Amino acid sequence: MAGYFSSSLGRKQVVAITGLLLILFLIMHLSGNLLLYKGPDAFNAYAEFLDHLGMIKLLARVGLVLLFVTHIVFTALLVIDNRKARGQEGYAVNRAVGKRSFATRLMPYTGTLVLVYLIFHLLDYTLADHHSAKSIVDGVNLGLYGLVYNSFRSPVRVAFYVAGMFGIGFHLIHAVQSVVQTFGFNHPTATPVIRRLSTLIGVAIAVGFASIPFYLFLCGGARACSVSCLF
Amino acid sequence: MSKSINLTLKVWRQKNAKSKGQFETYLAENVDSDCSFLEMLDVVNEDLNKAGKDPIAFDHDCREGICGACGAVVNGQVHGPQRKTTLCQLHMRQFSDGDTIVIEPYRSRAFPVIKDLAVDRTAFDRIIQAGGYVSVKTGQAPDAHSILVPKTNADLAMDAAQCIGCGACVAACPNASAMLFVSAKVSHFALLPQGQLERKERVKRMVAQMDKEGFGNCSNEYECEAACPKGISVSNIARMNRDYMGVGS
Repeated sequence: MAGYFSSSLGRKQVVAITGLLLILFLIMHLSGNLLLYKGPDAFNAYAEFLDHLGMIKLLARVGLVLLFVTHIVFTALLVIDNRKARGQEGYAVNRAVGKRSFATRLMPYTGTLVLVYLIFHLLDYTLADHHSAKSIVDGVNLGLYGLVYNSFRSPVRVAFYVAGMFGIGFHLIHAVQSVVQTFGFNHPTATPVIRRLSTLIGVAIAVGFASIPFYLFLCGGARACSVSCLF
Repeated sequence: MSKSINLTLKVWRQKNAKSKGQFETYLAENVDSDCSFLEMLDVVNEDLNKAGKDPIAFDHDCREGICGACGAVVNGQVHGPQRKTTLCQLHMRQFSDGDTIVIEPYRSRAFPVIKDLAVDRTAFDRIIQAGGYVSVKTGQAPDAHSILVPKTNADLAMDAAQCIGCGACVAACPNASAMLFVSAKVSHFALLPQGQLERKERVKRMVAQMDKEGFGNCSNEYECEAACPKGISVSNIARMNRDYMGVGS
């Protein structure tokens, strides 16, 4: 199997499968995050449920790290090859004639943006103390909910998180249809639909995640309209 | 009706594979708009010859758009601005009087420049030698009728077989990947009964040779399909991806 993992097609397929699993993780992550709209109790209960999974949680985390690292390492190997493949002299004039989309051109940049974003994101929440003074809202310690709520008082963080989600969104617009092609599925009627679906999934995931900092920032100012009273 | 146009050409001139090239500017005057791009270059070369200068080297053979010998990057587009057209079938009526045309060779590590616009595409030959054939006995001509081929497969195989191996896909790919070419050759056989016996082995060997030649990797940008003078579809790349799955070392 060593030949498979060092071949161009094998590496592409590794990037595709790890990418697909990461997309599934994102969907799960988003579904959890949306509980923020239901208020502190629902969100914290979900966080505690995850905390009490013990070994399963540990395994999931190790798995995620492995997925990320594999996805990035194999992509890097492919990109290094691609840079070399053009040769020393590039084109003086280069005009794309195909359907090379904005999202496709941005892949290396959105990928890097997501990586940088991820580091800050892990430090902000995953690795932070969920019950410190940072979780206190109006004198009450609201746990992870409070931490998230307080962190999005800062417009800079809101802007950074929204930018990170733009990165994810554009990355997925190209990625979803790319996964399907790399797994060997291409059909005259289904492929155009899949390409549109890819855009839809990218936009939906990005908007879903980005809505949360927006919501907490805009609504959080007036505690009266805070989350829980909407439901 | 044909008319006469004047053009400024910026052509990549490179003495040989080892030397460093540069752009040279030439005036192509009174070019008949009905002549082909290569005929226009012929006229420029005649003038260069008369002036005792080295003519521009470029690849060409049939000049009918079926052999795959010609090809250059014209104003940033492989085979020029007209879709599904080889450079020899591109006519000067696609350009306007006073235009400046930048002509460059294909840029790929696997296709080194031999001279000016001529590049060495023997990497493709070596990929074909690695597995782009059927070595099992397929019988005589009448035997072809004894094995039925579904119409859809026959059509798809013919579509894939249209690839003339010109290398436009490599030149147009942002990663200089040869996957459209290789997948067309893989698909051509994979879709027919005669190709089944060596199907897995073929894809494995052709991909290994492709990697060895130093081509880039497909990142599903689909520029190849748009640049291909024969309209080879990226669905062939999907088929190759599928066939390659689970192929061991």
